[in-house]
Amino acid sequence: MTSTRANVIESHNVSLIFGENAGVFDQTYTVPEGTILGLIGPSGCGKTTTVRLALGLYRPHKGTIRVLGVNPAAFRPEHQARIGYIPQQFVLYPNLSVTENAEFLASLYGMRRHQIRQRLDELLEFVDLASARHRLGRQLSGGMQRRLMLVGALMHDPDLIFADEPTAGIDPVLRGRFWDYFRTLRDQGRTLLITTQIVSEAMYCDYVAVMRQGRLLAIDTPQNLKRRALGGEIIHLTLADPAHLAKAVSALRRCPHVKEVRYVPESDRELHVTVDDAGNWIPEVLNILEDPDGPNIVVESAEELALTFDDVFIRIIRQWENQPIDQTADAMMERESHGQHSARTSHAAQPDNAAPRR
Amino acid sequence: MIRVRAYFLKEVREIRRQPLLLISLVAGPLLVLALFGAGFVNSNPVLRTALILPDDLPADIRAQIAGLAGLNFRLVNRAYTLAEARAALASGDLDVVQIVPEDVFGKLQRGENPTILIYSNAINPLVEGWIQYLAYAQINEINKALLTEQTRRAQQQARAVGVRIAVGASRLTELERTVSRAEQDAIRQELRTLRALIVQFRDVIPPENLFAGRSDDVENLRMRANDAIRALDEVDALLVSGDLERGLEELRDSRELLLLLDQQIAIFVSIAPETIVSPVQQRYQNIRTESIGQASGAYPAVVYYAPGVLALLVQHTAVSLGALALVRERMMGAFELFRVSPANMVQLLIGKYLGYTVFIAIASAALAAAMRLLGVPLQGDWLLFALLLLLLTIASLGAGFLISTVAGSDSQAIQFAMISLLLSIFFSGFFISRDSFAAWIAPITALIPMSHGVAGFQDLMLRGITPDPEVWIDLGIIAIITFGLVTFLTQRQFRRA
Repeated sequence: MTSTRANVIESHNVSLIFGENAGVFDQTYTVPEGTILGLIGPSGCGKTTTVRLALGLYRPHKGTIRVLGVNPAAFRPEHQARIGYIPQQFVLYPNLSVTENAEFLASLYGMRRHQIRQRLDELLEFVDLASARHRLGRQLSGGMQRRLMLVGALMHDPDLIFADEPTAGIDPVLRGRFWDYFRTLRDQGRTLLITTQIVSEAMYCDYVAVMRQGRLLAIDTPQNLKRRALGGEIIHLTLADPAHLAKAVSALRRCPHVKEVRYVPESDRELHVTVDDAGNWIPEVLNILEDPDGPNIVVESAEELALTFDDVFIRIIRQWENQPIDQTADAMMERESHGQHSARTSHAAQPDNAAPRR
Repeated sequence: MIRVRAYFLKEVREIRRQPLLLISLVAGPLLVLALFGAGFVNSNPVLRTALILPDDLPADIRAQIAGLAGLNFRLVNRAYTLAEARAALASGDLDVVQIVPEDVFGKLQRGENPTILIYSNAINPLVEGWIQYLAYAQINEINKALLTEQTRRAQQQARAVGVRIAVGASRLTELERTVSRAEQDAIRQELRTLRALIVQFRDVIPPENLFAGRSDDVENLRMRANDAIRALDEVDALLVSGDLERGLEELRDSRELLLLLDQQIAIFVSIAPETIVSPVQQRYQNIRTESIGQASGAYPAVVYYAPGVLALLVQHTAVSLGALALVRERMMGAFELFRVSPANMVQLLIGKYLGYTVFIAIASAALAAAMRLLGVPLQGDWLLFALLLLLLTIASLGAGFLISTVAGSDSQAIQFAMISLLLSIFFSGFFISRDSFAAWIAPITALIPMSHGVAGFQDLMLRGITPDPEVWIDLGIIAIITFGLVTFLTQRQFRRA
């Protein structure tokens, strides 16, 4: 899967090492304009460092990174004016009101009063903070503080937005609203790089990068990541008679389109059948099993298994951990260097298959 | 400018939301000053003192010594033995014990120096200095009192001698004529009585150095008395020998010496004893009384310390705000936000300087106005006052921001600010004069903005004169150097944010 849109961020072989096993290593990824890239991974996996490298707050020890076409370390005010940033913690001022905080941030970007007033009204409406505009920072709930941070980052109408765990510590309803905001911004043509520890939020992103221990394990669309993690799509079968379970497995394994057949733990009549496309292959699987000239097994139900992204994430991590230890990052990058850098999807395949276990 | 204004407005708004801070900054020092003014009684310490006097001292002298000791020391209303007094001193019930020796006048007459022993158990070096100084002043007064008394006695004796000298001189004249043996014996007896009186007088004449600077007539009184005694001895020898005709010359010389002594005695008794003991008097005048028409030229302590309090408020507020300003933003992660934005660090610093300067200027102006209620004047030019306030604020903010760049946390910043406060109280001349310190302390003193603030505010508010150029130059240098250092260090931290 490739994109024809220009890349807003291009990172190639970027490493920043803080110490033994600390930092980010050999990061190669691109973010096309007008998309949301979600960086997903546990705490301490290097998400914030990745963001800071792209913001120019850190300089890489190795590799190159270009954001908006320039090295972030050489950002000029006109580049900085195109970037919005929501840091991980609430860094606004508890003794200033919502309006004053937003005005302060907007003024840092050189906005004049009348511009601020107009833009602030729009944004407060956008994030439902209009009624709280005179409330002090310290009087805001955690969710309101996050929304205020979003307002602050958007005041100067940036093209590229970095949001470092914007949904951490807030309730699921509000999280959903945040992703609504982000997708609206994406639809308006903005590019967003969003980090999160909440794996299920991957489904809101256009592209997802799975991170662990400073490395990008996989980067692709949510759907493709699922497929890569599972080796395809899974059909969940329930047989009418448990006695036919072994016969069903045997029949399905003979079918060339079936990639894998697995027993469902603690069940004597359920199977998980991996195929390329569950929607297309459910009738075929049913035909094979219910063939009166063949196994002639009665299938009680057959449906595509809806796996959560948590399962996908766990599988990706497990796959990465099961790689041979001698497959180092350098070896991986060597393979990557053979002309696969044009699209994010190609990168997604590399770590999946070749990332070393640390 | 938009970005500088953003930082400026942010600081002003943040402080505006803390009205208690402003109130405490104005009301706090004012209340302290008012309490100080109401409660301050004396600049020297109260020293509980036991005075142990010998039994042989005349009652009037006892009263006089006790009165003099009571001027500088608070005499306890209880009689102590030496052992009891020392025990009370050791236990802290007494601060000073004074012991007057026995036979003071006898010792004085014998040319000895009677010594008043003064004991203390002071632990405070300033108090010990005060005790030594007050004891010195008291001993001077006692010496004066004793010498005055001695002089008075000598004058009484001199008057008696003077009457007899006239008689004695006439008797010598009689001897120049032919007198009977019986008359000679009578005259001889009279002259012996006169000699005894002159000897008594000579022995009570105060030490000669007391008359130093007076005319020879008075200065040589003892010598004249001795001459007269010697002359009378010679006359007595002549009378014993009975050969008066051969001694007519000696008789005339003796009469001359007696008359000379008489003249000197007349001069001696005509001078007040106090004048003899304290020939030089002092008359103190504070020239400020000429212009203000009041008896005392010095201000009350509360007024005198007010400029120092103002300087202290300005510096401490500026240092505290500055010390917390950058470290707080650095710790909360705001530096990261600033770095991502097109705003630069100099804009941040200027905005903060402006914001805090406005706040401190308002607080200081309010405090200075409130100080007027306590009678604190502003004698000098208010424009210069405002300029000094501004310079002191900027220099102090620089010191505060410098602390902020080196402090790793809020608590460290507060700690450093407190150390700077302590340093200022000791070395700025607020309580202890800057002249009290060794020369090598001077550079440290000069580095403290408040040192220049105290001197400058005192000149402007209390004396009505323009502060020395040194005040302006030093404050300007501190302001420029700290701004440069803060800019450099913050830039580095900014890059590492």
